[in-house]
This record gives sequence, structure tokens and C-alpha cells, in this order.
Amino acid sequence: MTTILAIDTSTDRTSVGIVQDGELIIELHHDDPLGHGAVLPGLVKDALARENKIDHVAIGMGPGPFTGLRVGIAFGQSFAAARNIPWIGVDSLAALAEEHNDAEFIVAIDGRRREFFASHYVGGKILAPARVMQRESLAELSIPVYYGNPNPRAIAELSLRQASVLEPIYIRKPDAYPAPKDVKFRPWLQTDLVNIFAIEKDVFGKEAWTMAQLKEEYAGKERQYLVAEINGEVIGYAGVVKMGEVTDILTLTVKPEFRRRGIAREFLKRLIDWSRNQKVEAVMLEMRKGNIEAEPLYLANGFRHISERRNYYAQGVDAIIMRKELI
Amino acid sequence: MSTPLILGIETSCDETAVGIVHGRKLLANVISSSVEEHARFGGVVPEIASRAHLEAMQPVISQALKEAKVKLEDIDAIGVTAGPGLIGALLVGTSAASGLALGLDKPLYGVNHLSSHLAVDALDESHKLGPVIGLLVSGGHSSIIQVNDLAQSVHVLGSTIDDAAGEAFDKIARLLRLDFPGGPAIDRLAKEGDLSAIDFPRGLSDTDYDFSFSGLKTAVARYLQKTPDAKRADIAASFQEAVVDVLLKKSLSACASTGIDTLLIAGGVAANSRLRELAAQRCEQAGVLLRTPPPALCTDNGAMVAAMTSLAVSAGVKPSHIGLEALSTVALSQPVWA
Repeated sequence: MTTILAIDTSTDRTSVGIVQDGELIIELHHDDPLGHGAVLPGLVKDALARENKIDHVAIGMGPGPFTGLRVGIAFGQSFAAARNIPWIGVDSLAALAEEHNDAEFIVAIDGRRREFFASHYVGGKILAPARVMQRESLAELSIPVYYGNPNPRAIAELSLRQASVLEPIYIRKPDAYPAPKDVKFRPWLQTDLVNIFAIEKDVFGKEAWTMAQLKEEYAGKERQYLVAEINGEVIGYAGVVKMGEVTDILTLTVKPEFRRRGIAREFLKRLIDWSRNQKVEAVMLEMRKGNIEAEPLYLANGFRHISERRNYYAQGVDAIIMRKELI
Repeated sequence: MSTPLILGIETSCDETAVGIVHGRKLLANVISSSVEEHARFGGVVPEIASRAHLEAMQPVISQALKEAKVKLEDIDAIGVTAGPGLIGALLVGTSAASGLALGLDKPLYGVNHLSSHLAVDALDESHKLGPVIGLLVSGGHSSIIQVNDLAQSVHVLGSTIDDAAGEAFDKIARLLRLDFPGGPAIDRLAKEGDLSAIDFPRGLSDTDYDFSFSGLKTAVARYLQKTPDAKRADIAASFQEAVVDVLLKKSLSACASTGIDTLLIAGGVAANSRLRELAAQRCEQAGVLLRTPPPALCTDNGAMVAAMTSLAVSAGVKPSHIGLEALSTVALSQPVWA
């Protein structure tokens, strides 16, 4: 007889179950997106009251929101160490997929920040490793998309069938990570303007700066403009201007295919450093309201909302003014 | 209980640490730090710290057991830092600790990180456990504390009203373009400087036991603006002297007014060499017994958590309940979680 303690904390639900020879003899759960840490030990304690002799621990390794996910893994691994029994890691999305048998479908777990971690199944087989998808793109799909909570029975069963998943399935990188080594940062040159203009048009369309505006910026005083390049190709640029007692970040743009690699962060750091050297009181910036890619970066670097400007970018597109104190 | 064997887990910031003590005897103190990963960002990045904690947790536990030459099933109680600290980081520790406690069917103690800093003093078994004035100085906290019994009766006499001492060190280090963490960097640079070169202000010198370091920070920033060619070592030394001077004046005044003749300096900043040097001089003059834990036990570690837990167990404090809540902020007056 094999008795498995199954734990999953990859969703808002903290799930615990004990499965004995394929039969779920007890199942306990609690729904609270921030409650995993306080709830899981109590649920396991209650489950153990039903059956205390455990042969191995099956742990849902995600993907899922990181903080809750780590609660289940840290707990499960330690419990196994204390009992001197093995733990086996399971793909939580695979556990969700166990419950469906459409020819083709997607299972998704809410990763927060309007993103989902999704796996695509065709003919009962996973097509590719789980990836991040936007809510909007999931909604557009013509195949079924299933959300839900991995159940402990499926976690337990997969732990018997599949190789152990040894690391948490994070998919998304931490918000902070160093700029890749192959990226070079340098002040802009007049010869960069053509390349920058091309990126402007791609990224901002009708709202792009014109070549005349770029040239004017290039000729302007008390400014610092930088470009990032990889193998000689300009992949991003950023600029800041000193205005009295503050500096103002005028642009910070990275080509879409080079985003989420720490390039914007490095730009921001350099613009802040330059501002510090200007002995100003603060750095300001305007951000398009609802720019969920940029906002966490600014907040993490000490910028705070100070006001909004209606219709700043275009009709209906408001700006958020942000400020970081330097003194 | 006979002399308890305690395993303590610390994950409140960027160190994943496990300590094992037998009563007041230190058996193992293993630390895995992610500080180098954070240095690139000039500060601790919570998500990076939390990932590193989970990765290091089981290996660090195993290593500590190996060094202590004990087995998990020999452990009598599990202690864990439940706050204050980074929530995501704390949760890795509290979850691992409750997994151990439930798996072993042993009591779990959620302890206060700040109390634990003071508890390392108990690991010197020659020390009598009596009332002390504690000066707790770290990256997140600066307080003067009257400690009657660490597990049950502590009274905060004063605290910083703005930046913690360690935070001030980090900020000034950034102004001076020094490495993160700033404390050791300033300590090193200051050795080459003149500590009386610049007379930086001592904040709140007319109040009893509260501190303020933000005025000092501004003064250093202004000084740098006005005198960009100033010798950086002089600035570092003079800044450090201003911090250390005010910390010690207030601590010794607390000793004098309470009649407690022992000063215990703990927390990360207690590793500062000038603080230790000047404390030794001034305590001798004042006839106060000075206790400073070895530098390795001043920064975050697991031994301090095990030591604090051991004191709680010995004092008969009730264990925490199994789903104890990690808290980002918590006062020193709560040494052990309910």
C-alpha cells in the first residue's frame, strides 16, 4: 500500500490530500491568494490526523504565483526530510490537464499581473513547455481553455507516473536581473538617429517622435541620451534632461524582442546616476497610464505617483507623473 | 525538558541560515548568502532573495545537521524567524520550519529577528543571563532596549525615528560610490581617514534614547556637493564617528539611568570596528561591562534563532501554533509568536 501526501499551492487555493492506492481518503483546501503560509501547515496537520503514515510527498511545483508556490515546496521538502521519505515534484498544469480529454485544449493558471501560465495539450500530449500568455490572447483562442485548481489526487497520481520535477517552475524571471553582458551602453551619436527613428515608428506608430524632434533633442543642452546595442545593432535608447532642480526622463524605449532582459533597468539606473551627478533634487517621468510593463520597474526603483495628466499622449490616453527623490 | 537540542532557521533577508544549539552551546551555524547577486542592484531584491532561500534551504539544513553531528529526529524543537523581514523571504523559512515541526511532531517557535540578534550573547556560556542594556543596530533597526529577560520581558527605551544605522551606512556608501553593502565598505575606507576632519551633526542629541540619521545623511550629501574634492576617507571616517558617537552616548546614558551595568551591542552594525573600539574605551571609562558577540554572529545567522528559541524553551514559553503568520513588521516586545 502506498500512501501519498499531496500538496499544491500554485493557485489561490492551498490544497492538501492523502491518496492511498489511488483513493483520495481526505482532501482539504482553503482559498486565499495570500494565505498559503498560514493555512498549509494546519491543513496538513488535519489530514495527518486521518492518516499519519506517509510514504512520499507529492508537491505541485507550479507554475504559479511565486510566493505561494514556494510555501508548498519549502513545506513539502522539509516534511519529507523530517520523515526521511522522498518528495516528488509535479507540474501543476499537468495535474490540471489530467481532468480534461478534449483533442486539443489549454490549461492555464493565473500568474497575476494580467498574465497566465499556460500549457497546450494536443491528443493528450503537451505541445511545448508552459509559457506566459496574456489574458487577452487566451480569450481569442478557438480551442477550450481550462482554468482551475490542480487537485491532490491528480498531483499524487502524476507523482507515480512521471519523473520528479526538481525545481520550481517559475517561467517568469524575477523583475530584477542584471543586463546581459553582450549589451553595450553608450551615449548616442548623430549616426544613431536613423535607427532610433525606425524603432520609434515601430513602437509608437503615430505618436512617434519625428526626425526633426530627434534632431532637436540631439542638439539640445543639459541632456543625456544613451543607446544600447548588441553586436552593433541599436536595440534601445533613453534620454533625460535637466530642468532646474529636477531631471525629466524623456524617453526609455527597448525594441519589443529585447525586453524583459534588464535593459530598461540598466538605462534607468544610468539616467538616475547622471541625474545624481547634476545635483538635482529628484528625477521625474511621465508614464502612459496602464503601462504595466514599465510601472513595476519604476516603482521598484523608488519612483512614486505624484499626479496624472489627462489626455497627455492622445485623446483618452492619460499620463501618470512619477517622481523619485534623490536627496 | 533536559537540555534542549534546537534547530533554528533564518530567512528574513538575504541569508539562508540554519543554526543548531544544545542549550546554550553552539553546535552548528551554516549560512548561504545571496548578497553577491544583490550587490549588482545596490540593494536586496526580494524575489531573488526568496528564490535563493528555497534553493539553499534543504542543503543548509543538511549541512548544519552534519556539522552538529546530530540527526533531525534528535531535535527537540524548531525555531524560525517569523518577522520582521521581507514577507516572501520569511515565508520560505516559516514554511520549511513548520514542515519540519509537523514531520517530526516537535514544537515550533516563531521568534522575533530582533530579539534573536540579542540572544546570541547567551551562546557564550560564561555570560551570566541577567538584565542588560541592548544596543541593537542593523540595516533595518536601531534601538536601545532594556532587557530583563529576553524571552519574556524586554522594554524598548528608544529607536531611530527615521533611517536605521545600517541604512545610513548604505546610503552614505552610495554617495561615496562605495560597494553594497555599505557598512563594511565605509568601515574599511574610514581606516584611512581622519575621524575629526569634519564635524557632522549628531541628531537628536537633546532627547533621551531616540536616534535620527536623516539629518546626518543630508549633511554628508551637502558637504559632498560643496566640496567635491574632499578626501572620501575623511568623509567616511567623520560620518562613521558621528553615528558611533551618538549610539554610544545614548546607550551609556541608558546604563547610567537604569543602573544596569552591562551593555550588549548586537546586530549587523555591531561588526563595525570603530563601534567596537570606541565602545570598549567608553565602557571602561564608565565602569560598564561590554559584551559584543563575535562579528560572525552579529550579521544575520541561524545560531541566533536557535539561541532565542532555546531561551524561550528554557523559560517555559508556550510554542507557537503551527500556522504562525510571518510579519514584515513586529515590535521587540513580541519575542515569540503565539
